[in-house]
Amino acid sequence: MTSTDTRGRPRRTALQRRSARLGWTFASPALLVVAAVMIFPIVFSVVMSLNKVAVSGNGFQLNGFTGSNYSVLFHAPRFWHDLEFTVLYTIFTVAIEMVLGTLVALVLERLTNARGWMMALLLMPWALITVVSAELWAYIYNGVYGVLDTVLGTVGVHNLNVLGTPLQASIAMAVADIWKTTPFVAIMVLAGLVMLPSEIVEAARVDGARAWTIFWKIRLPLLRPALAVAVLFRILQAFGLFDLPYVLTNGGPGTSTESLAVLGYKVLFNDLEFGPGAAVAAFTAVIVLVFCLLFLKVFRTQVGEQED
Amino acid sequence: MRKLTRKSAALAACSAAVLALATACSSSSGSTAAPAATGSATGTITWFANQFGPTTSDVRKTLISAFEKAYPGITVKLEQAPSDSDTYRSTLVTQISGGSSSFDVYNGDVVWPAQFAKAGLALPLNSYFDSSYWNNFSNGLVTSLTYKGQTYAVPLFTDNAFLFYRKDLLAKAHLPVPTTWEQLQSEAATLQKDGLVKYGFAAQFDSYEGLTCDFTEFAADAGGSTVSADGSKSTINSAADLKALTYMRGLVTSGVAPSAVTTFQEQQSESLFTAGQVAFLRNWTYAYADSNTAGTSKVAGNVGVTNLPTFAGQSGPGYSVTGGWNLYVNPHSKNLAADVAFLKWMTGTQAQTIIAEQGGEIPTVASVLQDSQVQAANPAFPIAAKNKLNARPSFVAQYAQVSQAIYNNINAALSGSVSPQSALSSADSQINTALANTGL
Amino acid sequence: MARRRTRNLGTNIAALVIAAFVALPLYWMVASSFKGQADITSSAAVPPHPTTSNYGNAFSNYGFGTYLMNSAVVAVTTTLIVLALGIFAGYALARLPMRGKTAIMTSLLMISLFPTIAVVAPLYLLLRDIGWLNSYQGLVLSYTALMLPFAIWILRNFFLTIPFAMEESARIDGAGPVRTVLSVILPQALPGVFTAGVFTFVAAWTEFIIALTLNNEDRYRTIAVGIALFGGQYTTPYGTIFAASAVAMLPIALLVLVFRRAVVSGLTAGAVKG
Repeated sequence: MTSTDTRGRPRRTALQRRSARLGWTFASPALLVVAAVMIFPIVFSVVMSLNKVAVSGNGFQLNGFTGSNYSVLFHAPRFWHDLEFTVLYTIFTVAIEMVLGTLVALVLERLTNARGWMMALLLMPWALITVVSAELWAYIYNGVYGVLDTVLGTVGVHNLNVLGTPLQASIAMAVADIWKTTPFVAIMVLAGLVMLPSEIVEAARVDGARAWTIFWKIRLPLLRPALAVAVLFRILQAFGLFDLPYVLTNGGPGTSTESLAVLGYKVLFNDLEFGPGAAVAAFTAVIVLVFCLLFLKVFRTQVGEQED
Repeated sequence: MRKLTRKSAALAACSAAVLALATACSSSSGSTAAPAATGSATGTITWFANQFGPTTSDVRKTLISAFEKAYPGITVKLEQAPSDSDTYRSTLVTQISGGSSSFDVYNGDVVWPAQFAKAGLALPLNSYFDSSYWNNFSNGLVTSLTYKGQTYAVPLFTDNAFLFYRKDLLAKAHLPVPTTWEQLQSEAATLQKDGLVKYGFAAQFDSYEGLTCDFTEFAADAGGSTVSADGSKSTINSAADLKALTYMRGLVTSGVAPSAVTTFQEQQSESLFTAGQVAFLRNWTYAYADSNTAGTSKVAGNVGVTNLPTFAGQSGPGYSVTGGWNLYVNPHSKNLAADVAFLKWMTGTQAQTIIAEQGGEIPTVASVLQDSQVQAANPAFPIAAKNKLNARPSFVAQYAQVSQAIYNNINAALSGSVSPQSALSSADSQINTALANTGL
Repeated sequence: MARRRTRNLGTNIAALVIAAFVALPLYWMVASSFKGQADITSSAAVPPHPTTSNYGNAFSNYGFGTYLMNSAVVAVTTTLIVLALGIFAGYALARLPMRGKTAIMTSLLMISLFPTIAVVAPLYLLLRDIGWLNSYQGLVLSYTALMLPFAIWILRNFFLTIPFAMEESARIDGAGPVRTVLSVILPQALPGVFTAGVFTFVAAWTEFIIALTLNNEDRYRTIAVGIALFGGQYTTPYGTIFAASAVAMLPIALLVLVFRRAVVSGLTAGAVKG
């Protein structure tokens, strides 16, 4: 009897096969729900992106398979500009949030009594509805009565037109974004930190290693799975950035802060062009997928995937 | 056994997707011919409406109770809609294209008829109203509701823009009310130099639909336009439009308008005015009542209103763009007789008077606007009667793309990111792409 | 000794700085919720004439109480279902020898990253066909599908860090698979469960575009959509919006505070592993 099956993989024991079946039983409900609800909309969207779509009172009419939606997209300078902005913005904010979030998590870890209160406070920005958070920052950055102007006025900086200047508007948006989502990263990293086995750290400390070395060489590598998930999903969310630019600047000045999601929304629901709009969405998904797969490949061994 | 469950699960998912796809593609098979509004007007209808008028009293509820008294057999349910026009449109489109009949009539922006007509999202109304009905409204108004010979909405109320000014400041500096934009700029500069006010002029220059309104006015004042009358090409790259844009940019660079004006929508420009920090304001009808409310406005009692100025050498007052809201009928509505009765009543004298007096909005029925009692209710109304009106180029179905091309580029020029000429060239090519349906 | 004191001092200062950065905009929001219409343009640190009119306005004029209840029902139900399904799925994908795990995790990621805006219109059609528009279950179903991928990712990663010896000892004790998961593995991964639960709850509580499209009727409206109704065409009533949001944030703050003991003990229990 050979010890490999028809596909060249080692044969499995009865116990393993039973365990695998159990696994499918455990996982199926969740997977079925996700598939049943999400597969149709996604497939439909992709199909729409490859068709001439006319919206009517009777639904979406798909009039003919075509690649013109994508070619229109690729020939539009606005699309490339928005893509560039979204990519740069994602890299910038995710990087900062990861660093800040880890620092915050480290501080949180050392707190004892105050930890619960700090966590409650940290969750507040995250718990704000994104539209409201955007309105709050629009109120703060407002060119007429925003409190930012007052605060800056005390240090002698006057008449700053934050939301009306392209680079400043992007930075202002990034600050609002970082304020809101660093808690998310912090809590994920904190949860990862407390689940690290303490013996290794203790051993290193007994050996006389300094705190910084312990963190950098021992804890950080062990934290990679938690960090990886945080980075992955932050990339997803940053790419889908919609409420903040929509409320804060409507993509302005001009189109300098227009993210891909804002573009997609405008094409879909303002222009009522469902074909090109679906193309924007599908292409965004492809780009994010590429990002994520690249990231996973680089960090593969650290994400802890196991193949049997 | 394991293989079977996995394969069958995948198969199930795929067939579900295919099935759902097929259903969606051939969704609600409604007839394309407009059904006749037979039968008497009874039953319940749902009115999907955003809030309009002052926020302190809901004029929609007043209208509904008055309507139900006039038509005891019909009950009207009010369904709240989002206040932002674009958010509202997104939910309308999803629901109507999905065949929803959960609302029968809905409020809609005045720039939507062409777009909604082309997308089949509003019911054509010609067969339910005889031609004499449309004589109640001005020609321009009726044109704005029409697409390819059919009308798709009735006008609920309209809105005009005015020049609001500080009577007290002009009196102190012994200056007359300006009638040209050049005069306005020099008067504003004088007021600023004399230290009487911080800023001279405010309007809505943010990157949004409101900028399309403002620019359309300035361009028309200079003798230009944005889209040709037959809707086939862009006319924005012209000397007149360049003059208008250069003037607007000049307001910012000379300090007459705050540099933050490129982030102003109605609310910010209004707040600047009611805080007493600007001498002249271009804004809609509501601004008169708002800036004269004693409790919340620091300039209450000192506000004057007049027609907008034009450029030197042009005749008459400046142009005001038409805003406002229309009433549309959901093509899937099941109670057309009641819908038509509702539409007719809402554009009748009683409803329009309520809208004018309680809602503070300009009525669409000319006879109501001329009524002395209505005119007495709001000092802006007699001025409105003398307004020179202009419409945005919403008669093209691709108006949304055209408007974006306008406001994105004009805002970039006003912020100083690009020169006015290159902004206009850019807008020109984008508008042409939009009209030819070859762009994003 | 001195080194420990400075380290504590350093930590406390850092904590204060962080708290300030987080709290200042929040303070501004809450303070502004007490500003009447006339003061909305004021930049004073404390509102000049504080008033509770915005709060009254939100509840009486806009029916905010209903929206709060709807959001609560939807968010709690979604979180419970997501955790129930996600814990078992995450466990299976972490520790049971299934084939194709990478494919599943990647597919979940792919489903997660498709922009929601494009998904909304077809999702509406799907729920219309099931007949679950304007209901609690339609929203719960949509949110569950939307948030499960992320929950599964988190839970699976946390389950991976638990030593495999756990299953062995459970099996020797004669525990069945479900009991193994619930009584033996789960307590070890509480921080992960807490994280997944909190994020799911917050996501369901604050989601806007799907709630806007699916639940149009007033009696099923959620908070995020309700706030979008505030104000008229030309006015954004900051005071009322902030008042409503402050109220909307309270349940989450209370939840975390109430459960902070469990969280803290769960977090520290995780550190004492043999």
